[in-house]
Amino acid sequence: MERICVDKTASRGIAVAPVYLYLDPDLNADSGQILEEQIEDELKKFADAKAVVIRDLTKLSEKNEIFAAHLEIADDFMLQDGVENKVKNDLKNVQQAVAETIEEFAVIFDSMDDEYMKERAADVKDIGKRLMAEIKHVKLPDLSGIAEPVVVVARDMFPSDTVKIDPSLVKGIITEEGGVTSHVSIIAKSMGIPTLVGVKGILSKVTDGEIICMNAEDGVIIVKPDEASVEEYQRQKECYESEKARLESLRNTPAVTKEGKRIYLCANVGNLQDIRNALPVNIDGVGLFRSEFLYMQNTHFPTEEEQFKVYKEAAELSPQELTIRTLDIGGDKELSYYEFEKEENPFLGWRAIRISLDMKDMFKDQIRAILRASAFGHVRIMFPMIISAEELKEAKDIVEECKKELEEKGQAFDREIEVGMMIETPASVLLADEFAKEADFFSIGTNDLTQYILAVDRGNKKIAKKYDYFHPAVLKAIGQVIEAGHREGIKVGMCGEMAGDQKAVELLLDLGLDEFSMSAGSIDYVREQIINRK
Amino acid sequence: MVSQKVTVSNPTGLHARPAGVLAKVAAPFKSDIFIFAGEKKVQVKSVLSIMAAAIKKGTEVEIQCSGEDEEAALKAIVEALEGGLGE
Repeated sequence: MERICVDKTASRGIAVAPVYLYLDPDLNADSGQILEEQIEDELKKFADAKAVVIRDLTKLSEKNEIFAAHLEIADDFMLQDGVENKVKNDLKNVQQAVAETIEEFAVIFDSMDDEYMKERAADVKDIGKRLMAEIKHVKLPDLSGIAEPVVVVARDMFPSDTVKIDPSLVKGIITEEGGVTSHVSIIAKSMGIPTLVGVKGILSKVTDGEIICMNAEDGVIIVKPDEASVEEYQRQKECYESEKARLESLRNTPAVTKEGKRIYLCANVGNLQDIRNALPVNIDGVGLFRSEFLYMQNTHFPTEEEQFKVYKEAAELSPQELTIRTLDIGGDKELSYYEFEKEENPFLGWRAIRISLDMKDMFKDQIRAILRASAFGHVRIMFPMIISAEELKEAKDIVEECKKELEEKGQAFDREIEVGMMIETPASVLLADEFAKEADFFSIGTNDLTQYILAVDRGNKKIAKKYDYFHPAVLKAIGQVIEAGHREGIKVGMCGEMAGDQKAVELLLDLGLDEFSMSAGSIDYVREQIINRK
Repeated sequence: MVSQKVTVSNPTGLHARPAGVLAKVAAPFKSDIFIFAGEKKVQVKSVLSIMAAAIKKGTEVEIQCSGEDEEAALKAIVEALEGGLGE
């Protein structure tokens, strides 16, 4: 039995379940030549493996277009020829033949002077992995194949992994790498899965299938627990769940402070499912709709029509408001179908509104889609990363331009649509007075704001302790922004992780925050704090 | 054997998606179908071969088809390339 303490919790809760080790198995090719009479057998192994891979990919491609491209590659006759040649002419065993053929193609793509094509090397390698796993009869871990309750233990998890998670079976997540603002943390929180990240050494301490206990409230993991610990954690889990039930009973109590101020509690979401998941919590609306997911899970820039469909449904689902943040890519978020130049400092680079204003046609597709959706609910437009009045004006002018175009076409939209901005750069804090005159609302994005004000990279584990939104400089900035907004009579919300932090609620209420927008999983706690504040 | 020269017109060149479209157009024909672009010889029925050649927009290529349905194959490939491959 070993007890591991972790200082930061990515998503609350307690779990006791068997470990599901999410790691790639050994896929190295066996060495050794074959005899001529074995050729046929080896080729049959390849044909069998290929058939299975194609069957799997066909199934996957029905849900996700990315796999359709993989399917084409797996079925490619050049790949087949490459393997056959190596088996027939060089008498290589099928594992080596596959490994070498895949490597040849991967090298070609990798050596190209084009970021987009370089990434195709990863596709080819992914197919190689599938083929090799089939030939070697080893199972590639597949999160969508999980059939029993488990705690997933992984090095790190990426969007392609987390889309496969079934929250009814994945009872907990522990990762060796990653921080509390990383992708997996945000997703786990929205699904309400207890999660601890950045747990150094965890992979070498656990075995697939053995029971593990985790308390993501206190940040404790028990590896190879004895019976007493399992019982103890089961008990804790029940306590936690009954407390949760108590919080849930408050869901119909409006979040009104003792001074009588009604506070808006909203959800941060990345897709329609997130909104549906948040509705039972009784949200006032969506304070942050991350539109980039629409771009990232796609093979091309989504068209106006494609976006409109999603925004319209989101508007209809959202109770009182839907705040759509326009495309925020760059930084750590890339697109498979668009080549970004390599940057020294991507977080200070070509990202968010900077991209949108440079790619005006693409931006206008999004704005028109949002405007059209505004006919179906209370939709608000929000621009990310604004640093100057000129930028805000340029973006607002584009909104006006789009309104005119829609008017000419006789398409319906909300003429009074609110257009606001994120406050996430030091510049926007310092100029909050001016911005408050031009914007219809502010939403403070504390994740980026903290990193920019403190000059602390939020992904860097070494300085993770310095990344602190309770730093006086950050608090002062938040206070100034709220004041500046209120002087001009506009609402000021917050959509960073801080808005869902119980320890911050009282402080933010004192500073006058109007709207808290957070992962759905935190809303019950924040509501309780607001209602029961002494 | 029949052949014809065409300039690649779709904006991203013969990237993954257009390569997939092109390979699908070529697949049903019995003829051998090649694209020559400078030094490069591309097997048009293979997505990997097309992508590996990384042919950019504006490149002039020569399509060669040989086999029983070469005329129809050539016509289909030329039309696909000139049509921008769905982009």
